[in-house]
Amino acid sequence: MKKNKTFLLSLFSLLFMYGCDLIDYHPYDVDISGETGINAKNMAKIESNCKGKTTIKFAVMGDSQRWYDETEQFVKHINRRNDIDFVIHGGDVSDFGITKEFLWQRDILNGLKFPYVVIIGNHDVLGTGEEVYTKVFGEDNFSFIAGNVKFVCLNTNAIEYDYSHPVPDFDFIENALADRKDEYSKTVFSMHVRPLIHEFNNNVAKVFHRYVKEAPGIQFCTAAHEHHLTAEAIFEDGIMYYGSDSMNHRSYLVFTINPEGYEYEVVYF
Amino acid sequence: MKWFIFNLLLLSGLTVATSNLQAQETKYDKRIHRYRKHWENLIPTHLKLQYAGNMGAVSVGTGWDYGKRNQWETDVYLGFLPKNSSKRAKMTMTLKQNYMPWSWSVNDKLSIEPLACGLYMNTIFGDEFWAEEPERYPNGYYGFSTKVRFHAYLGQRFTININPQQRHSAKEVTFFYELSASDLYIASAVGNSYLKPRDYLSLSFGVKLQLF
Repeated sequence: MKKNKTFLLSLFSLLFMYGCDLIDYHPYDVDISGETGINAKNMAKIESNCKGKTTIKFAVMGDSQRWYDETEQFVKHINRRNDIDFVIHGGDVSDFGITKEFLWQRDILNGLKFPYVVIIGNHDVLGTGEEVYTKVFGEDNFSFIAGNVKFVCLNTNAIEYDYSHPVPDFDFIENALADRKDEYSKTVFSMHVRPLIHEFNNNVAKVFHRYVKEAPGIQFCTAAHEHHLTAEAIFEDGIMYYGSDSMNHRSYLVFTINPEGYEYEVVYF
Repeated sequence: MKWFIFNLLLLSGLTVATSNLQAQETKYDKRIHRYRKHWENLIPTHLKLQYAGNMGAVSVGTGWDYGKRNQWETDVYLGFLPKNSSKRAKMTMTLKQNYMPWSWSVNDKLSIEPLACGLYMNTIFGDEFWAEEPERYPNGYYGFSTKVRFHAYLGQRFTININPQQRHSAKEVTFFYELSASDLYIASAVGNSYLKPRDYLSLSFGVKLQLF
């Protein structure tokens, strides 16, 4: 009987300790613990780290949904480098839009020794996903300046929205380009879905590209979503759209923008 | 006064008529009796209150026991999900099927069901969730529903039999806990070593009032 009692006691204490982690109200409960507002904090870090630089080096990856182990391996791999200024996640940290997915991915990406920003992907909008994204990472459109380069990061997942929410948001683009105009001379656009992919609002694909073209010192655009590497001047005017691979294919892109121009490499891990 | 006498006569006449009928049950009576009995089977036998378990913070439900040893149970719940960091609080509904293969009597007051297991289906109310993919997506684009979740659980129960003299509204009170897994959490865990059982398993507690 005494043995039974100690057994029950240890079972209950184990259940209690474990239990706190095990209480779940709903997959879409938007119950957020841990760090929030990550993009804003990291953009401030990027801006101060890169201040005055004329050469910047950054990694672009994305589509890490449900590939937790691979994303961890990516973090380990890139952390061995010392030449990266920051990382852009091109969207789809979640597959189903469930709250925990965002937290799991955030915890993995927080292992990066470089500041990072996460763009919203179409999967991140599902269910209550966008509310979680906004709380954990920030606004769906954001921009920052690294060195002398303005990065305009956009929600381009038009398939997930009706007309109540402008996607892509041209007002945002105009304001982002007009803001702190004297502090940058080059521009990069980053998004999840690139124009001419059917999830983009292709009625305005050419209009969008016109904004891209008119941006001061446009370098190139980055995207994710397609789950394979792409590099194409989709409007045949020399402006490149680069697409990063999904995490299960174990690669990421590294771009260097310097006074001579820019170059990029594909890194496998 | 006349009216009163008439009423009295009518009433006594009716009483005589019904007592005559009771003496010999007609086909009609049997049919009505059966009809009532069938509907009586639909009266829920218990009430439940559950905390957590991916069907809301708190869920209230009712249901039916059946089977030779009342080893089967079907419940319907309404759940409440607080708004947390979202725009509004939400309601959920759950259909739950339970099976308790054994019941051990410790004494005449306490019995234990060492294993309770089952499946439940939860649906959440709100415009942001869909059961079938809206038309804006190509056929089978996401391949799942954001509205309907499926769960499986294992658990245990402890039942206290209330002394007939002290019964107020129930004859038994059962306390239970369940360890459950949800479809999307399992899908997330498959093929990953990063996610541990504490990430994809959920613990819930509840109480059942056995009315009759």
